[in-house]
Amino acid sequence: MSQKEDFSQLQKLLRVKRLETPGQEYFDRFVDAFHTYQRREILQQEPWYAKVVEVLFEPWIAGVPRLATVAASAACLVAGVAFFLGPIQSGTAHLADGKVAHPRGILVAASQKEESLQIQPELIDTAAGGDTTELRPLYVNGHGAVAYDSRLAF
Amino acid sequence: MSVETALPPDLENGPTDEELVASTLKGDMGAYDELIRRFQGRLYGVIYHLTSNHEDTNDLLMEVFDKAYRSLPTFRGQSSFYTWIYRIAINRSFNFLDKRKRRQGAMSLNELDEDGLPKLDLPDISPQNDPNKSIMLNELQNKLNESMLKLSKEHRTVVTLFDIQGLAHAEIAKIMGCTEGTVRSRLHYAHKQLQKSLGIYLKK
Repeated sequence: MSQKEDFSQLQKLLRVKRLETPGQEYFDRFVDAFHTYQRREILQQEPWYAKVVEVLFEPWIAGVPRLATVAASAACLVAGVAFFLGPIQSGTAHLADGKVAHPRGILVAASQKEESLQIQPELIDTAAGGDTTELRPLYVNGHGAVAYDSRLAF
Repeated sequence: MSVETALPPDLENGPTDEELVASTLKGDMGAYDELIRRFQGRLYGVIYHLTSNHEDTNDLLMEVFDKAYRSLPTFRGQSSFYTWIYRIAINRSFNFLDKRKRRQGAMSLNELDEDGLPKLDLPDISPQNDPNKSIMLNELQNKLNESMLKLSKEHRTVVTLFDIQGLAHAEIAKIMGCTEGTVRSRLHYAHKQLQKSLGIYLKK
């Protein structure tokens, strides 16, 4: 048997793995499950320093700290001291482009109506006290919407 | 039981991926739901064949779509959405595998099978009426997954994308950010390794 033939047999064998998928019901429910996940993530968003602690200490917990980890831990300790000496701001949201939305710029709207799937700037402008906003969606589903004003993201 | 398809969804009857991305950025969440429906099966396959665990795959798939949604404003369209989201899925899976590898030393013996590999979480794809076939298929499935887990994550990825998902070398190269030559050489090496460990099944 030539090597090429061997590979084609192997490839046939590997195709068996295509069957290893969950049933269609899993995929039918996935979008709803994702909305639930996304909502939970937004409500329980960890502060950035918790993520830093997780990244830094995970190798220590696993028992294999590297030199880079030790150096990064020391750098973070210094940065952490500086951070905690400064003012702490709560209620901010971290955005995909690295900016942070100021708490005043985060707006939440809740409704059971289907129309709320689209953010309506006029309504939220009114809720924001009549100021004109430049809204960007953070999260929207059938029950409500969370948006931020891009002018208040720094 | 659905079977993974490597073919892109039928775009003749609906908007393109890029049009859906643009609609999502304008606040139409239904458009992002449609993107999820288009890619959930294929991304599930990629992540599952890298991790061999359904629970981890489910968690990672959620993370991938969440990360992609948050990063959409930075998506410049230099590559297709298809390539971009595959890249996110692979990077996330690699990070997860690195963490799992580091933690393996701290895993309890109950979490490992007799070969010292993490226990595999396999769906029941066995024929209902033939117990002998069922046993053989389960054995084959276990052996296939064990052999895949022995490959490096890069080699496992090319096998997954080429042999299981049916992507072309050029597409894989774009997703993995390497040359087609690298894809071909990784594939050749991975095939040789798999052939070595699965030889007994190939001669049957």
